[in-house]
Amino acid sequence: MAAVSTTTGRYDAIVIGGGINGLTCAAHLAKSGLRTLLLEQRAQVGGCATESELAPGFIVPTLSHATGPLRSDVVEELQLYLHGLTFTDASLQLSALAGDGRTITLWDDARRTAQGLSAWSQKDAQAWPAFQASLQKIGALIAGVFINTPPSIDQPSSRDAFALLQTLGAFRSLPKADQWRLLRWGPMAVADLVSESVEDELLRATVAADGVFGAMLGPWSAGSGLQLLLTAANRALAWPAGRVVAGGPAAAARALQRACERYGVEIRTGTTVHRIDIKDDRAIGVTLAEGAAIEARSVVSGVDPKRTFLTLCDAEHLPPEFLWRIRNYRMRGTLAKVNLALSALPQFAGATRDMLAGRIRLAPDIDYIERAFDHAKYGRFSPQPWIEFTMPSVTDPSCAPQGAHVLSAYAQFAPYTLRDGDWDASRDALGDAVVNTLARYAPGITSLIVARETLTPLDLERGWGLTGGHIFHGELALDQFFAMRPLLGYGNYTTPLRGLFLCGNGSHPGTGMTGGSGINAARDIARALS
Amino acid sequence: MLGGAAVTEEVFPGFKFSVASYVVSLLRPEIIRDLDLPRHGMELLPLDGTMTPMPNGDYLWRVNDHYKTRREIARHSRLDAEAYDEYGKAMVEMGRFAKPILGMLPPDPTSLDPRGLLEMLSIGKRFRDMRFHDRLNQVQLLTMSAVDFLDQWFETDVLKATMSASGIIGTFLGVRSPGTAYVLLHHYMGEIDGAFRSWGLSRGGTGAVSNAIASAAREYGAEIRTEAPVARILTKNGRATGVVLENGDELAASLVVSSVDPNLTFLKFMDERELPAEFVEGVKRYKYRGSSGKVNLALDALPNFTCLPGPGPHLRGAISISPSVDYMEQAYDDAKYGEFSRRPYIDMVIPSLTDPSVAPPGKHVMSCFVQYAPYDLRDPATGSREPLRWDDQREAFGDAVINAIADYAPNIKDIILHRQVLTPLDIERTFGLTEGNIFQGELTLEQLFFLRPVPGWARYATPIDRLYMCGSATHPGGGIMGAPGKNAADRILKLVSR
Repeated sequence: MAAVSTTTGRYDAIVIGGGINGLTCAAHLAKSGLRTLLLEQRAQVGGCATESELAPGFIVPTLSHATGPLRSDVVEELQLYLHGLTFTDASLQLSALAGDGRTITLWDDARRTAQGLSAWSQKDAQAWPAFQASLQKIGALIAGVFINTPPSIDQPSSRDAFALLQTLGAFRSLPKADQWRLLRWGPMAVADLVSESVEDELLRATVAADGVFGAMLGPWSAGSGLQLLLTAANRALAWPAGRVVAGGPAAAARALQRACERYGVEIRTGTTVHRIDIKDDRAIGVTLAEGAAIEARSVVSGVDPKRTFLTLCDAEHLPPEFLWRIRNYRMRGTLAKVNLALSALPQFAGATRDMLAGRIRLAPDIDYIERAFDHAKYGRFSPQPWIEFTMPSVTDPSCAPQGAHVLSAYAQFAPYTLRDGDWDASRDALGDAVVNTLARYAPGITSLIVARETLTPLDLERGWGLTGGHIFHGELALDQFFAMRPLLGYGNYTTPLRGLFLCGNGSHPGTGMTGGSGINAARDIARALS
Repeated sequence: MLGGAAVTEEVFPGFKFSVASYVVSLLRPEIIRDLDLPRHGMELLPLDGTMTPMPNGDYLWRVNDHYKTRREIARHSRLDAEAYDEYGKAMVEMGRFAKPILGMLPPDPTSLDPRGLLEMLSIGKRFRDMRFHDRLNQVQLLTMSAVDFLDQWFETDVLKATMSASGIIGTFLGVRSPGTAYVLLHHYMGEIDGAFRSWGLSRGGTGAVSNAIASAAREYGAEIRTEAPVARILTKNGRATGVVLENGDELAASLVVSSVDPNLTFLKFMDERELPAEFVEGVKRYKYRGSSGKVNLALDALPNFTCLPGPGPHLRGAISISPSVDYMEQAYDDAKYGEFSRRPYIDMVIPSLTDPSVAPPGKHVMSCFVQYAPYDLRDPATGSREPLRWDDQREAFGDAVINAIADYAPNIKDIILHRQVLTPLDIERTFGLTEGNIFQGELTLEQLFFLRPVPGWARYATPIDRLYMCGSATHPGGGIMGAPGKNAADRILKLVSR
């Protein structure tokens, strides 16, 4: 193996981790003319954007069943539409089932949503469009922050100053009421936030879920409002609006892989990085698990900050304070994944086929989600989790045998650290809790199950290298966001070590599989290297 | 009677209670100096330490003497003892940064007035001037939960539990709720004679503080009328002209300053049609959510704690029922769903040990601050919010408190001569604090600084000309602090002299 490294010669950049952000970063670096090597420990690239055969003929999105969504500048700059990326209609954002046959559907078009709401609450039907308009305006403002590298606090560059003025200008140009909303909503509890505009409990819970998704937060936790705003910002940057990647996250990953190949990235899968090699406070390459050392001018880590600094780097090379802070970086995963192979289409009370073609949320009211969260605080998983599921086979029959279906469910809360017992002993109990919850909405579903896969936060850590099983590479809290992601002073993709950069979700903006962190980082790194 | 929540009353013959507020520490030293309060009879007696009994019969006893405390913590964890120094230093730095902000006039980030912008930048600059380490702490302090924040330094559960307690006082949040770390600091800034974070009792109860301030005010020529409840604030074409008392007397004035909360000021004493709709919406949205109660006990003897039997200096400080982080969090969970905590967090003091004048010889008064007691009790059947249920729940709540104490001081039930239970409903009725919130509104991030009490109206002025706010519902918020009053006074004088 050592021979290989010498023959390949010296790379400009080695990107560790072939997730959406790693791929995006690598593709952009290569496109900028840098000799780029991407290392992925799994058999195929994509990271959390991947699919697998649950049972013969049943293809499920193993982890994520919806991309971030992909950012428009990623799609355009890497011309992903030339690499097999296609989109399908997503005017139906998601639906919520009450269980008693009552349903709510959220459309891209707020007025259309409002029409549906009028059946339950005239007040909500009237308030909804204005609420969405505010969210959109605020989302658009934050989106402007997403696309820039956070400023340096100590030596703000002229670019920083310009970006700051831009943001300030954008803020000023918001209607005054929305300026105040932005300032109030960010630190708020999402439960309070939605309750200000919405009265129907099912609708409240459906919206509030965005505030706690993947987080160690309940809807009554202050700060959960921020995540709702970040979701709005993601939507503002999506391309094209109202449409999603056809074939789900795995398809997005495949397109990015082709882009990488097209721009000349060398991709090695099934290759585990053992250590980032450091000499005189400078990253000089990596050593692989099988012992080979590969040199490079720079190393770009797409894996989470804890893994990057506490596992892949020798502590001796990093300042103690920095290490102490990284150890305290909060990434306690709470999301579990359950995939089902079903012999037939389950009957969900009130759900139309159109609804089943999209995302569906199961959470009757805010307190239901909060109670689910309470268990996580004491190191137990929720016996009655809140669930979001999709059934890819409804839109794409090739995912399952004739007449059969697959179901992909996110379930919260499942804390990474269990107080009693361990996940290997509790995995099936968690799977049962999720299936039983589904069965309360689709009574017959249990008898349809051909195969079941339950992924706990521990499995996310083992299989995908997510420390603590946290899907966002760290809590999206105000103190771990923007210039403070992962740590104040290192929000600009740099690290205490020269030549070592971050490009994963643990760096700004870090709001899921949008490619945002990857492309932002790549731009700075390309500038730094050339 | 004067003093609002800071009053001393002889609730039972011979027993004087600081009925609501019971400790003094946040009172700004410059106010003590400016008004020369000691000369007016205010005397603060140091309240030394906090003792936290533990279920296993052990205890954690922190005192003002740093090294004693260090040794005590080392009994539980050597690492924590070392971290305690670091933590103390960090908090002092935080306090240094935050203090000027307490006395600052909140800028309006949405106004195009460059001065506002400069004020914001000045904070930004001071932030920049801090060391890396302190900057991070500062940000975390504003956004993290008390437990997450303390987790970074400490491993001993009881230490984190009892320290995090000060993060939830007067809020409807749990020790694990983001935003509670800030309240840690809010209380950490307690200051007596310049000594950081020391708490004190006022001789003669907290009422004596109010009386001292009153006497200072009178000396400066203020006229004070008690038992003169205001019925309405008079306005004439958008300008305040005086007030009408409940007895019908009309008092004309060139300006009116309200120290009661926005709910009373704008929705009870005024007709909301006199105010801009957006402002009224903000006033209605402002969160109170009283979460604490008070139990005052007249005792025949001293409580006897299993962990430290008999009398002793440990009874002279605060005694905190906060045995574990989970205990604190579970207390909060009960409240979240509309019940009072079955096992509440309790902060006890026995003023009669420091100030014998408040109880008959050999007898004692004990004041118990209790959380959580949510103002909005829920009807178990329908789940609807029913504050009035407190009238039937009062004694059950009192019993829950006594039982929680009895777990650590079994003799408590035998030595109680009288018991006074104050629920949030009582606090609202007695002191006019809406929903019984002791800080006139929650100290949560979205209700602080330039957002307190109403976005755009954090500079003590109101949409009504010549009507101002000066209560805890304005920056920097509650506690026997005086800062809102002083800031408001400075501001009003500036505006009026224009």
